[in-house]
Amino acid sequence: MRIGIDIGGTHTDGVLIDGDRLIAAAKTPTFSDNLLESISQVLRSILSGQDPGKVSTINLSTTLNTNAIVTGRIEKVGVLVVGGPGIAPETYRIGEHFHLIPGSLDHLGTETTPLDMDRLQAAVADCAGKGVKSFAVVGKFSPRNPSQENTIREHLGNRADFVSSGHLLSGQLNFGRRIHTAYYNSAVWRAFRAFSTALQESLLKFNIRADVNILKADGGTMPLLRALESPVVSIFSGPAASVMGILAMEPTDSDILMLDIGGTTTDIALFAAGQPLLEREGISIDGRPTLVRAIHVESIGIGGDSLIQVEQGVVLVGPQRLGPCMARGGSAPTLMDALNVLELVEFGNSRNSIMGIEELANRHGIPGRQLARDVVDTAINAISTRIDSLITQVNSKPVYTIQEILEDRPITPSKLIVIGGPAVVFRELLQTSLGMEVVIPPLHGVANAIGAALTRSTAQLVLTADTARGKVSIPRLEIFRSVPRSYTLETAINEAKSLLIGDLEQAGVRISAEEVQITQADSFNIVEDFYTTGRNIRVVAQVQPAVTVLLDKVNAGIRIDSGPERQLL
Amino acid sequence: MLKAKSSLGVIFFPAYDWAISETHPEREERLLYTQDQFREEGLFDIEGITEYRPLRATDQDILRTHFCFPSVDGICTESHRISAGGAIQAARLVLERETQHAFALVRPPGHHAMKVVQGNRGFCNINIEAVMVEWIREHYGQKRIAIVDTDCHHGDGTQDVYWHDPDVLFISLHQDGRTLYPGSGFPNENGGPRALGRTMNIPLPPNTSDEGYLHALEQVVLPILADFKPDLVINSAGQDNHYSDPITNMCFSAQGYARLNEMLKPDIAVLEGGYSIKGALPYVNLGICLAMAGCDYSAVLEPDFNPEQLREEPDTMNYIKRLCRQLPDLYFYPKPGAYEKEGRYFIRERDIYYDTDNITEKQREELKDCDDCSGIRIIKSSTHRTGSCLGIELPWNCCPACEKEGYERFKRKNDGFQIVQMLDRKNKQYVYRP
Repeated sequence: MRIGIDIGGTHTDGVLIDGDRLIAAAKTPTFSDNLLESISQVLRSILSGQDPGKVSTINLSTTLNTNAIVTGRIEKVGVLVVGGPGIAPETYRIGEHFHLIPGSLDHLGTETTPLDMDRLQAAVADCAGKGVKSFAVVGKFSPRNPSQENTIREHLGNRADFVSSGHLLSGQLNFGRRIHTAYYNSAVWRAFRAFSTALQESLLKFNIRADVNILKADGGTMPLLRALESPVVSIFSGPAASVMGILAMEPTDSDILMLDIGGTTTDIALFAAGQPLLEREGISIDGRPTLVRAIHVESIGIGGDSLIQVEQGVVLVGPQRLGPCMARGGSAPTLMDALNVLELVEFGNSRNSIMGIEELANRHGIPGRQLARDVVDTAINAISTRIDSLITQVNSKPVYTIQEILEDRPITPSKLIVIGGPAVVFRELLQTSLGMEVVIPPLHGVANAIGAALTRSTAQLVLTADTARGKVSIPRLEIFRSVPRSYTLETAINEAKSLLIGDLEQAGVRISAEEVQITQADSFNIVEDFYTTGRNIRVVAQVQPAVTVLLDKVNAGIRIDSGPERQLL
Repeated sequence: MLKAKSSLGVIFFPAYDWAISETHPEREERLLYTQDQFREEGLFDIEGITEYRPLRATDQDILRTHFCFPSVDGICTESHRISAGGAIQAARLVLERETQHAFALVRPPGHHAMKVVQGNRGFCNINIEAVMVEWIREHYGQKRIAIVDTDCHHGDGTQDVYWHDPDVLFISLHQDGRTLYPGSGFPNENGGPRALGRTMNIPLPPNTSDEGYLHALEQVVLPILADFKPDLVINSAGQDNHYSDPITNMCFSAQGYARLNEMLKPDIAVLEGGYSIKGALPYVNLGICLAMAGCDYSAVLEPDFNPEQLREEPDTMNYIKRLCRQLPDLYFYPKPGAYEKEGRYFIRERDIYYDTDNITEKQREELKDCDDCSGIRIIKSSTHRTGSCLGIELPWNCCPACEKEGYERFKRKNDGFQIVQMLDRKNKQYVYRP
């Protein structure tokens, strides 16, 4: 049996699944200062009458690290950065302990300026004096040559409780993102470690001895032990969990859209030929782009509780939310109240809705029904505009080969899967305005937890070889070694595949070679002085997000336990 | 995070699956290290700098620019269409005001391709800037356009395409033709009889560095642009003037090139040559992008950059200064050359050599000295490969007489030409004789 838990901003959802059958589902409020209590409540509900010993896997999506970063409740981090020429590294200054250490590498990884050891010592002494124990070490072009980062790490020695080395976080190039990623990784490490210890103790109390995995923003999982090395990759796993839920409940091989409508926001995700699209480089947090791989989800500030305002005759919906809609005791009219007025839904106390809308409409001299109609049109238009721009953006993404331009197939979704509390309310509105088939999966209320339960591990690996210089590097696995001139693209692909499989196996995950996807395989002739001197080989291998089984729809009628106070949202 | 002062669209298309041949400078690897540099620097994370994919130039886009013999497919491949399409995308972004500036970082290049194309010259098949300019005029009207070609080689193709066009100002800064391919680009080449002064050549001596380039820009290019008042400025941004380039002899740097773009303020830049793919392109391209976006580029330095060592000898600088004093007169007070004329037609007869394909083209051009319009142009072109070909060009402001004459020539039978192409700008007809 597998358990999936998604700790969201307002609710914590959990499911228990046996094979492909949903056994139990539960929903409880999230106590942001005591996440373990939310987890316990959900576990108590879904495990009632079950043998916890039979649970083999528990997958957890948590906002712990996201919230810590967004609210600034993070540890101080010594950021030691080796920049060199180009865009000023000062651009990426982050945290209170940011130090630039002179030194540099070029794009081939050749050292062009040695590391300034005096400045390094001074920076480390400064951090030590201020009680900094967690560090991020990042050099420009370090995935090409980690030696300067390694020197700094060695120098830190036992003065650091934890060090994030840039080149180990991702093999992808992007200096600024690498700095941000390493910083946040070190900033959340200690709190995440404490949470993970407490979580394991609490699971023991439930007699659960399952493998514990943490959900990542790319929709995959990683073992808890791995998560302790790179906790940052768990940020924004919530929307990814919902996307994985769609894969488990509504599998398809065509282009579709997902809409997750909540109280405050609506998340939009796009699936190309049934596969969720990933961010090109990584997700941003707190306005800082990172190298954390993530499912691309667009968030728009419109939800059931979005506040209605009229400014100079223009109707605005969201992004503010003052509280619930008036139908549920709120103080100002929201989108849901407008839907009530138009009798598109019968929700809560619709007399309150009518009162609120009429009052606002009167103040601006318009009939109430017209205001309600404008509100709904505005909301639907905003969503549909964002969907259009997402599709345009995806279809105009850069490509680098003639082949890709000639064979390119535009993405044209014709089906919309809607989940989230108010999903049902929007079905017909969306169907009419977008001209798409709208599907609402029966268990859409816990799609996120189902996704969490059923998703599998993902991983990525970047290999770069230069046979003229006789070198191959796979930064994330700390592999930097010599290769003979005879090293070919085929050898590189095979090596990347087996290393990725081996890496996952070490983490206790077994996958077959067919499940590894090669997303880049290029071999460039290196010519120097008009003679071929070798090949520059680039390979990217990944295990893409996927679910282990498809959910059996027969069990769709199961009741979601929402505790004593049954909630619709 | 960084923000661009003016928004920039970059069409980055390295054509990772196309080369002239395995070890040719124009090969797959050319923009690989530039992309590494862009990615590591996070260029596209700068707010206001966005990456776009190229469009694809159609047959019509190419035929409104060139006389293609024997056919479009006969002279260019998909790679050339996409490279030209990259330039068109740059123009679209700027003219639709999606971005304030655009840089088409595409390959293969185009500035050696002339009005008539029979094959590949100097790594170029079709002139990607010219295809872009004609696309602009087709969709946005007859604009005044200035093309400043900073590639190390003389932009002889672009010069030829706009030789007779008074609405396009072409200025080329290049290594003196006495010391480098294609051996042309001297000050006395300053436009056809009806477009005098609208072609300007600035041949710089070998070893010209940042000071010399920027001096020429300040003393010659900028004053002329201020007078011409173009609607659009285009930089043909070849990067083989870099001190590390393997096939030229100049000493320009990433700093100098970025400064040049900051001063020139081109609306659109288009990559041309540049074959120091590890030592120059990653830095020069980054410098150009940052300068065009109004970002600080002061730390964009090649690892082996040594301005003292690159600086011009005093003699070189004196020569450049003397040259730059004389050149502006050729624009402000152009002197008519000794043009050959038969009746009302200006005549030009030339042999054109296509070095990459080893073809020699014999060409005779007749341009009508018409009082009512820019004048019909007839080009007779022959090579051993395609036999006798005829190109008829009717200008955008074509008068009824020239139009009538053009269509009579086009419809004539048994006139001895194997291939005849009509390039009728007035009625937007770009077709071959059936």
